[in-house]
Order: sequence, then structure tokens, then C-alpha cells
Amino acid sequence: MIEYVGENLWIGNTGNLLIILSFVCSIGAAFAYFKSVSAAEESAGWKTIARKLFYAHALSTLLLIVLLFVMIANHMYQYFYVWQHSNNSMPMRYIFACFWEGQEGSFLLWSFWHIIIGVILTRTAKEWEAPVMAVVSMVQFFLMSMLLGVYFLDYKFGSNPFLQLTREHPDFANLPFLKMPDYLSKFDGRGLNPLLQNYWMTIHPPTLFLGFALTVVPFAYAIAALWTKKYTDWQKPALAWTFAGISILGVGILMGGAWAYEALSFGGFWAWDPVENASLVPWLVLVAGAHVMIINKSGRKSFHLSFILVILSFLLILYSTFLTRSGILGNSSVHAFTDLGMSGQLLVYLLFFVFLSIFLIAKNYKQIPHESADDKLWSREFWMFIGSLVFLLSAFQIIFSTSYPVINKIFGTNMALGAGGAIKHYNSWQLPFASIILLLMAFAQFMKYKQTDSSYFFKKIRLSISLSVLITFIVSYLFGWLSFGSELLYAFLFFSSAFAVIANADYFVSMLKGKFDSAGASIAHIGFGLLLMGALISTSKSEIISKNYKMDAEFLGKEFSNDENITLLKNDTIQMGDYFVVYKGKRKEGINVVYEIEYLKFDELKKGFNYEFTLSPFIQLNDRMGNAPEPDTRHFLYKDIYTHVRYADLSEEVNNGTRHEHDEKEKTQNYTAEVGDTIFAFNAIMVLENIETKFDTAFLSSLKNPTIAVGAKIKVFDFNKNERTIMPLYTIYDSIPRVYEDTLTDLGLRIALWKINPAERKFDISVMETRKKASDFIVMKAVVFPGINILWVGCLVMAIGTFMAVRKRLKQQ
Amino acid sequence: MKKIHIIGIIIIAVATGAILTSLMDAGTYADFSTADKNPGAEYHVVGKLNKDKPHDFNPELDANKFTFFMFDNNGIEKKVILYKSKPQDFENAEQIVLIGKSKGNEFHATEILMKCPSKYNSGTPTETSAN
Repeated sequence: MIEYVGENLWIGNTGNLLIILSFVCSIGAAFAYFKSVSAAEESAGWKTIARKLFYAHALSTLLLIVLLFVMIANHMYQYFYVWQHSNNSMPMRYIFACFWEGQEGSFLLWSFWHIIIGVILTRTAKEWEAPVMAVVSMVQFFLMSMLLGVYFLDYKFGSNPFLQLTREHPDFANLPFLKMPDYLSKFDGRGLNPLLQNYWMTIHPPTLFLGFALTVVPFAYAIAALWTKKYTDWQKPALAWTFAGISILGVGILMGGAWAYEALSFGGFWAWDPVENASLVPWLVLVAGAHVMIINKSGRKSFHLSFILVILSFLLILYSTFLTRSGILGNSSVHAFTDLGMSGQLLVYLLFFVFLSIFLIAKNYKQIPHESADDKLWSREFWMFIGSLVFLLSAFQIIFSTSYPVINKIFGTNMALGAGGAIKHYNSWQLPFASIILLLMAFAQFMKYKQTDSSYFFKKIRLSISLSVLITFIVSYLFGWLSFGSELLYAFLFFSSAFAVIANADYFVSMLKGKFDSAGASIAHIGFGLLLMGALISTSKSEIISKNYKMDAEFLGKEFSNDENITLLKNDTIQMGDYFVVYKGKRKEGINVVYEIEYLKFDELKKGFNYEFTLSPFIQLNDRMGNAPEPDTRHFLYKDIYTHVRYADLSEEVNNGTRHEHDEKEKTQNYTAEVGDTIFAFNAIMVLENIETKFDTAFLSSLKNPTIAVGAKIKVFDFNKNERTIMPLYTIYDSIPRVYEDTLTDLGLRIALWKINPAERKFDISVMETRKKASDFIVMKAVVFPGINILWVGCLVMAIGTFMAVRKRLKQQ
Repeated sequence: MKKIHIIGIIIIAVATGAILTSLMDAGTYADFSTADKNPGAEYHVVGKLNKDKPHDFNPELDANKFTFFMFDNNGIEKKVILYKSKPQDFENAEQIVLIGKSKGNEFHATEILMKCPSKYNSGTPTETSAN
């Protein structure tokens, strides 16, 4: 055995001990809580033991978390997880990001929230504590098993964050320099993926995982209710938790969208990426569940659907965990976790709770209270019920299309959604769903439970409808939506979002008289309406302004014309949308290559340019995930200009060397062309327009009267959209051919027609080109998103509204 | 018939519609020869870059066109015209997925997905100078 210097083995040993302790205590707590429920009499003994075991589990997990932080903060690279996610130059502010970059750390983060929630439940759940905590402990048992890292019958259970690089990791154990006793002093970690080194990585995961963790509470209550056959009482305590889940999970998801928009170059705030979808779907189902629970409280007392939705929402969290962590999304998503070989274990986790839920629902199905009377059409509960079902359908559509990799695996098929087609596919379903939801959201509040007088309803809703119609007409006129076709759908969607916002605002003012205590729902609905309105305007009216003005794409007649990127030569001034842009140069800042692009406006009076602002999109030189472009956005009140670099020559920066200038050598390329063919040169595009054989006598005599003269009439287009016609000639003087080339000196072009094949109508053309020195250039994409601030305001308002709903439910308890 | 039955029927219809359109919108993974047999249809072709042949990107002329040669998983090589700018780090791509159609001897792609070698799994620690 080698004696290594500077290792801290006690920390790993303690950590391993704590994992086992935490694991054992979780199953112990689950068992003791289970016994406490199933004991004929309310058994205080089992419950006390269970609670102690859960606290032991909580404490050991918290210590685990502390230990992992200590390891990362002190750069203990003998541990694989630390080596993998941190390095010596890591600023302390990214310590949280390092902690949960990997699967193990993010499982711990998730567990952390479960523990906090669990401890709160032991204090507040009273008679529900035992059955609810039995479920929570069971969930924790499965989570902790993901951290075990032990082999059992050749199958590896979990992945252990205290794994030692030198002794236990198969890839590293035999590396020679790791055999040196003082290897740690010469050893640096691999570090956190630079793309994740930002504040979003510090705030997004904990919010999202708290949202995930909160869904376990309504689930646990529902399971507890089925188990103890108390089918109705569970909803009151569960509802506050459900709203908390909606609130936090919603904020977490939207934060992901804001991160994508601000710091990643996906080209927008929502890309329908499988990982995004996987967290959206449980949220949609949870929202549906909460609404059905509200119906159960005041309207129809049919409880089946609330059980199904609340349970489904947590199962979908487990399903999304399976999707993002099993490696199954590897080909279809850019940001799933890497596979740690735990797919089997994750599947068992999912299936255990799926079968438990199905079993309990099936067993109790007949006993669950159910009102057989039909809902009245003029009742609030009927339309809330419809809305919940639309949410469920929307969730179903998303999860079905997201599950292709799973379907392919099960049925051996080979299906995939196209990267561009996916967004269209989801939008074509989700936009109509959204607009139905918005309409329901607008008018359902003005209905009463049980039965509403129709004249009362119309009187109340009249103002909102007329105002919404008016605004829709004005906006649609301005946006040019008042034509038949798909634009009319936008007008309709805008109407539904405006209606939702205005009707809920009206309800808040006229019905609630501005009382904030019960306004959670109205405010959340206003936020949701604004969010979708902002999404609608910013995506439907988004405009790619980086069209290539230099080249006319239609002229090229391309079937696939994809004219969305612009080439900027250094110091050239080019028109882009309302602006003129100049690529001023680049500089290296750490691992980023920053490109400075000035935006100017043309002043008609001054006949000159006025400087407006500078945007600096950059490319991160990232050896882990490839060089990643990151956008820079100019925010205005009513629009954003979002830009990112699509292509730049990085050879200089990557190699830290100097650029090798291309020599100014002439290059010749030969083509055989027919009339109408296009020839591409470095600096121009040429089209063989025509073959001329008849010339006037003066011209021929200037050539000293050849026997035969053939001219290739070629149209040349250059960058500045100039069009010129040139005509190289092929002549024969008494069977001796002679070629007259034509030149365009400013483009460095010489063109010759050197062979003709009249039978096939084919002509051999040589293009001799002197390329200019490779100049510094970038290819950039710029998109204008109008009205995106409506979306962000909507997010904020919705978050506030859902928080208010939580507060109200807590007060009622 | 109760309202709940009508709602049930509508839901089943919408859900069926969602499944059917999903299936219709889905492309299929294929190789070049399959794509050749059906030139009008869109396919996802998985393959590798032919590193021996030159690729051509001339942004000063057209920033939205990039030409290269790719082997599909059966080893069949084809010229690919991608109607996008050259993806950053293209040369390092381990695997390429193209979305597009076959046209004559070329494959015209509208989308490209690349799998870059992630040093996530294959990373080995290297000795650095003490600091």
C-alpha cells in the first residue's frame, strides 16, 4: 500500500457511513410509520420510533450534504465527485453549482428539500403524520438508494459521491502518476462546466427541486387517504402544499426559460426540449389537480379525479427523473444528465409508485365518494372541471411526443421529431389548448357554484368582453392580424389572453372589491394571461433582422433558403433591420471571446450615422461541451434585440497562436456549364446567361475578324448587390483557337471560355480568382422579440398570485 | 346521454388526434439509401463526417450554406449541403444527425445535430504543475 500525502480519508469514511445510516433510517422510518398506521389502535409507540428514525435520517442526510460541501470547498480531489465538478480556480460563489452539477449532488439537493418538508409535516400533519410520512420516507428510501454505490449480485446500486479516485474508480486506479504518494499536490480538478458557471446555476436547480419535492406532499396525502379510507379530509391540508408546489415549480420552470433566453443561444425562452417538457408536464397536471380539489370543496363532491391528478403529477415527476437521468434522451436533448448506469434502478423507483398507486386506486375505486347528479351548465364547477381536463389533455400531448425515445426503446421503432418541426408540432396543439384555458379562466369566475342566473352572468361579463374585443381589434390592426389565414388565429389567441387578464382584473375590482386576501386566484390568472400574451406576441411577431442583404437568396433559387444569418466583415457597415451594424473587433476575456458589435442609426438630416449602443455576444471556449456561443441582448421597454454569433474562426484563440494569413495566390477552377447554370466564386456569384454568336462588324473587326466567335454572356453579382455583365470570348482563326478572357479587377476575377461543345450545349469556363487576404469576420443571427417584457411581468404576477393562494390556504387551516 | 359522456367522447377524440398527429409529424431515422429511394420525404440520417474530404463554408458569399461529405451508418458516403452556417466545432463532432431530403446525388439538410465528444466520461486527470 502506498501512503498518500494530504488525503482526508476520514471524511469519505464518515460520508459512506452516513449514506448507509440515512438509507437504513429511511426504510426504518417508512416501516415504523407503516406499522403505526396499520396497528389496530392508534399506536403512539410506533409513531415515536418512526419519528425518531426519520429525524435520524434527516440529520445524517444533512451531515452528508455538509461533508460534500466541505470536500468541494477544500478541493479534495481524491474524491471523484470533487475532481469531476470543481477545480483550484473555482470561485467560491460557484460552490453550490459544483455541488449539484452531477446526479449525486442533485439527488442530495432533492433529498434536502424532502427532509425539510418531512420535518415540517411531522410538526403539522397531526393525525395524517403517520400515513403521509410513511410515503415520504419511502420516497426518500428510493432516493438514498441512488447514492449507495454498492454492488449486489453484479448490479451496481446508485452512484456514491464519496468514491475515491485512486482506489475505487476503475478508469483512474491504474494511472501511473496517481501512484505517487504526493499526487494530490500536483493535481487539479476537471472543474465545473463553464457553461454552468453563472448565477442561474445557483438559483434554478434549488427552486426546481423544491418544486419537485413539494409535489410529494399532495401525493403522499392522496395515498394516505386511499390507504386509511378517509377519502375527503385529506384535501384541506393538501391544498396549501399543492399551491406551494404550483408556485415554486412554476417559478423554477420559468427560471429555466429565463436562463435559456438570457445566457444560452437556443434562440428563445422555450424550445420544447424534452428536459423542459419533463418538468412542465407535472406542473400542468398539478394545476389541474388543484382546480379539481377546489371544485370538491365548494361544488361537486366527486373525488376520483382529484386523486388521479394529484397522484399522476408526482408520478410524472418520477417519470421526468427517469427521462433526464437514465440517458434515454441522449439523442434528443441537449441538456440531459449523462447516464450513470442507473436506468434500471430509476425504473424500479418509478414503477414501484406507479403500481402502488394503481393498486390503491383500483382497490378503493368503488368507495371513493361520487356525486352522480350531472353538473349544471351554468355553474362554475362545470367549467373549472372542463379546464382541468384541458390541462390534462395538454399534458398528455406534450408527454406523448416527448416520450419518443421511450416508445422507440419499447417497440423498436425509429421515430424522432425534427428539431425545427418539434416547435411547430407542439405549438399547433398547445396554442389552441392555451386559448381554451384562457377563455375558461376569464368567464368561469363570474359564474357561481351550483347555478348561475344567466342574466346576472352576462351583466357581469359584458364590460370585460367589450373591452377585450376593442383592444384585440386595435392590436390586431397594428400587427396586421386582421386577414384570413393563420394570423386570425393569433388575433383569437390575443383576444383570449386579453379577456383572461381583463376579466380577472375586473373580478378583482368589482367582485372582490380589491380585497387582497382572496385575490390569489385572480392575480395568478392575470399573470398567466399576461405570460401567454407576451409569449404570443414575442414569438409570432419575432423578426429575424439578420437577413443577408448582400446576397439575394431568391436569385439563388434555393429550395431550402435559410436566410437568417448575416456575415459581418470587420469594420464594414451593414444594414440590419432599422440599424446599421459594425463589427468592431474581438477581445479575449478569460475563456470567452467577446465580439463587439456597434449599432448605429442613420440620421437623414445629418446624412451620417448616430451611435446607438454596442452589443457583445461571445463564444465560450469550452473544452467540455464544445465552444458555446452565448447571446447578448439589448432590452427596450417594448422589445428586445437578441443576438448571438453563429460562426467565427476561433483557430487563433483556441491555439493561442497567430493567424496564418492566406497568401494572395491566384486559384483557378474549371467548370462545365450550360446556359442558366450558376458558378460560385469566393467573391461573387455568376450566372451563364446566354451564348452569343452574332456580333456587329465593328466589334469583330476589332478582334481582327475571327472565323468563329462565341461569347459567354455572364452576369456577375458581387457582395454589394452590384450586377455586371461580362463576356469572355472563344474564337477560332483558321482552325487555331484563341481565348479572350474578361476581367473584373475589383473582385480579383478573370474568366475565360476555353472550350465549347455545341452538340451538347456545354461550355468549359475557367474562373481565376485572386482571393483577398482572409479578413476577420463573424456570422451572426439577430432576432427582435417584441413585447417580451409582458411575458416576464406575467411570470412575476403569476408567482405573486400563487404565493397569495398558498397564504390564504395556510390561514384557513 | 349525460354531459360527462359527451365530454368523455371529446377527450378521447382529442387525445387520439394528438397521438395521430404526433406520429405523422415524426420523422424516421434512416440511412442514405432509404432517403434516396424516397427523395421527397424528410429523414433523419445519422452518420460521421468524412474527414478526408474538404468541407466548404464561404460565409462571405453565403453564410447559410455549408457543404461537406458524410458517411451514414452503413458506410455510404454522400455530399451534404446544409442550409445553415457552419456549426461551431464541426470538426470535432463524433456523430452527426442530419434532418433533410435526398436530392440527386446530394443530401439537402435543413437541420444538424452534433454529438461532440464529451470529456465527461472519457476524461482522465492530467498532471498539472503545482500551484
